[in-house]
Amino acid sequence: MAKRAAKTRDCKWARDETMKAANSTLAEDVRAGTQIVAPTLELRGISKTFPGVKALDNVSFPVWGGEIHMLCGENGAGKSSLMKVLCGAYVADAGEMFHNGEKIEIKSTLDARKFGIAVIFQEFSLVPYLSVAQNIYLGREFPGKLPGIIDRQKIRSEARRFLAMIGSDIDVDTPVYKLGVAQQQIVEIAKALSQNARILVMDEPTSALSDSETEHLFGMMRRLKANGVAIVYISHRMAEVFLLGDRITILRDGKMVATMLPHKTSPGDLVQKMVGRKVDAIHRRGANIKAGEVALEVAGLNAPSGIADINLTVRAGEIVGLCGLVGSGRTEVARAIFGADRITSGDIMIFGKKFTGGPDKATRSGVALIPESRKAQGLALIRSVGDNIVLAALDKLFPSRVFQPGRARQSAEVMIKKLRIATPSPRRAAQVLSGGNQQKVVIGKWLTADARLFIFDEPTRGIDVGAKAEIFALMYDLVENGAAVLMISSELSEIVNVCDRAYVMREGRIAGELPRDRLTEEDILQLGMHHE
Amino acid sequence: MSERVLAQSLSTLGRIPGVAFVLAALVGIFASMTSGFTTGPNLSNILVQSSILLLLALPMTFIIMTEGLDLSIGAVLTLSSVVLALTAIATGSLAVAFLAAIAIGLAFGLLNGWIIAWLDIPPFVATLGTLGIAQGLSLVLTDGQSVVGMPAGLHFIYSGFLFGIPFPLVIAAVAYAVMHLVLYHTRLGTYVPALGGNREALRHAGVNDRLVLAVIYGIGGLMAGIAALLLTSRMSAAHPTAAIGMEFDAIAAVAVGGTQFERGEGWLFGTLLGVITIGVLRNGLNLLEMPSSVQVICVGVLVIVALFLDGVRKVQE
Repeated sequence: MAKRAAKTRDCKWARDETMKAANSTLAEDVRAGTQIVAPTLELRGISKTFPGVKALDNVSFPVWGGEIHMLCGENGAGKSSLMKVLCGAYVADAGEMFHNGEKIEIKSTLDARKFGIAVIFQEFSLVPYLSVAQNIYLGREFPGKLPGIIDRQKIRSEARRFLAMIGSDIDVDTPVYKLGVAQQQIVEIAKALSQNARILVMDEPTSALSDSETEHLFGMMRRLKANGVAIVYISHRMAEVFLLGDRITILRDGKMVATMLPHKTSPGDLVQKMVGRKVDAIHRRGANIKAGEVALEVAGLNAPSGIADINLTVRAGEIVGLCGLVGSGRTEVARAIFGADRITSGDIMIFGKKFTGGPDKATRSGVALIPESRKAQGLALIRSVGDNIVLAALDKLFPSRVFQPGRARQSAEVMIKKLRIATPSPRRAAQVLSGGNQQKVVIGKWLTADARLFIFDEPTRGIDVGAKAEIFALMYDLVENGAAVLMISSELSEIVNVCDRAYVMREGRIAGELPRDRLTEEDILQLGMHHE
Repeated sequence: MSERVLAQSLSTLGRIPGVAFVLAALVGIFASMTSGFTTGPNLSNILVQSSILLLLALPMTFIIMTEGLDLSIGAVLTLSSVVLALTAIATGSLAVAFLAAIAIGLAFGLLNGWIIAWLDIPPFVATLGTLGIAQGLSLVLTDGQSVVGMPAGLHFIYSGFLFGIPFPLVIAAVAYAVMHLVLYHTRLGTYVPALGGNREALRHAGVNDRLVLAVIYGIGGLMAGIAALLLTSRMSAAHPTAAIGMEFDAIAAVAVGGTQFERGEGWLFGTLLGVITIGVLRNGLNLLEMPSSVQVICVGVLVIVALFLDGVRKVQE
């Protein structure tokens, strides 16, 4: 009892619900005779410096078994570095770590696993041509009866058991390359569970999940929490932070800014602490929309990628949303308009001219696609920021077809200044920038190419709050200057706040159009849900 | 109803790799154009002649699945053959000569692995370098001349029979079975597609990825050493240029078999089909009295046709 009291005193975050869970765990821990006065994991004064950047600066915080500890901060605030220190990919320059009160050192992935730390990165660590089961037990294959031969049956049955635990019935023999992002996420979580993780670190796990999958994940997290697992959860979604978090720790510029209780703070306060200055998460756009000429008109579009009878219009000066569940065909519509996928029938009119052909022609017609997968499709990651910016405008900048480095640099610098891209030089490789700045580079690429119809596919995925606001401000700038924007987003609050009207897709078709006065999250969901 | 049956049979057809169609077509063409093609001895001959290529193509499948390449495998085979012949003459012992050949093959394989895994030199460049070294050593050791005067027992390896089965086929079958077991039932094999598909994941899983990579190249050298027994036995001599260009056939067989050069996608049975297809092609062209230069051209065309068919199939999926 004394120990319990000590713990209660130690962590004054006693929300009723949390305490119930924590107490039951505590009782089990006492029975098991384990040390419970110490946090499962505690960081003290962790620092990590890279040439020119202090990624982590004296970061200290404890994580208790049975809590969900939210970690918030802008991109570049040090969350990824912290995760890498936890999983053993980086070794901290200074500071100490304690596991159940004992000082530990994590120098490798194996060390981290030994202490029950499992990290689920946003970029999945799955092998495409291995099965789900093989991926879950990669590096930990069960030995079989014969020396050197692995027990494939046991790998499959154990993998199935852990998937069932999180309510998934994915076939364990499916090769991972056949799975969608959401299912890959589930495999990652099953993998972490199978490692008997006592400390689970998750980096924006819901960014690729549908609502029902998210619900499932949250349910699973609550069960893990009740079993005494400590969860460190990185998220940019306010709703999740307040729904799930027992405590919230905020990082900014590599420093720990604050640890707060959710009921003693507010989203505004949180955002302010994250960015260090007062901003609104998303400015709602004023109602003074001046819609101009028709920039895009799609009529009766059908495509083998699974979209049928698509009709939509976007005018200059408008931001039009395209929403629906993940997999409802939003990205496919965008790709068809950009000429990246084949179409079987239907008309696409761009600025009044019938459009046929591929992305090269689309680019020349003034269409820009800012794709969902920034790293794979939006940027040439290893090339410099400057190279990326001029990439789509080579014909325009160099009509003589001879590349002139001086002119390219000049164009790039103009764009870097205009969009306030945080890079020390246009020669810096695009891959070292933060997500928000990478997105600006993609936008800058299309601005340089004089695009007038912008298709944004999940423009804020993996981007922090401060940068989100900047991206939207850029979008408003675009339309005020006569461009047209079609925006795909899974974040309904973004659609509602940013768009002038929206189309909702369901199962490859347009389920309906919502004008601005009817554009609410409820209406979007109503239209987008499956009704059978 | 009949439409659905048709669609079903079409989709079943779509799952058969391009190489199977090519193989069937080639067999059909040669059977109708030559008289000797379908005879039992000739078919057995095709398989025996393919055994050396199979020994090289099996590890090449592993290597290509790791997004690697081994250009040196033909030159290492030649060098192993030369070392085998010289050791046999020097010591008079076939056992010592076999061990020497296998050891030199393994050494070169591990050297490739070390250069690629630890020095981080791209496989294409690394194995191009060892190709030169092995080829040069063969010429130095032999003075550019053939090494003849092998012990009589060597003959058995290529021409002997075990339980009525040609001995090279026994070696090839055992090699295939072992490599299949390794690829699909061992840790090492599990890590092969991981090296090509997501090396970072393997490292995160706590696996020593460099060591695994080096071992895979080591297996390639080892198999080249074993192939040297067959090659030297077939010629009852060692020629310093005997297996030049064998890497071309080996890589072609893997590619024809449907193994991809990226992301760790591969299929060992496809490689077997690829080896047999190349064997059939070369045998048929021999029967048609085509010179070997034409055969090389045809293998090149074969690679392109088979990969085109695979591409068509993937698009349909």
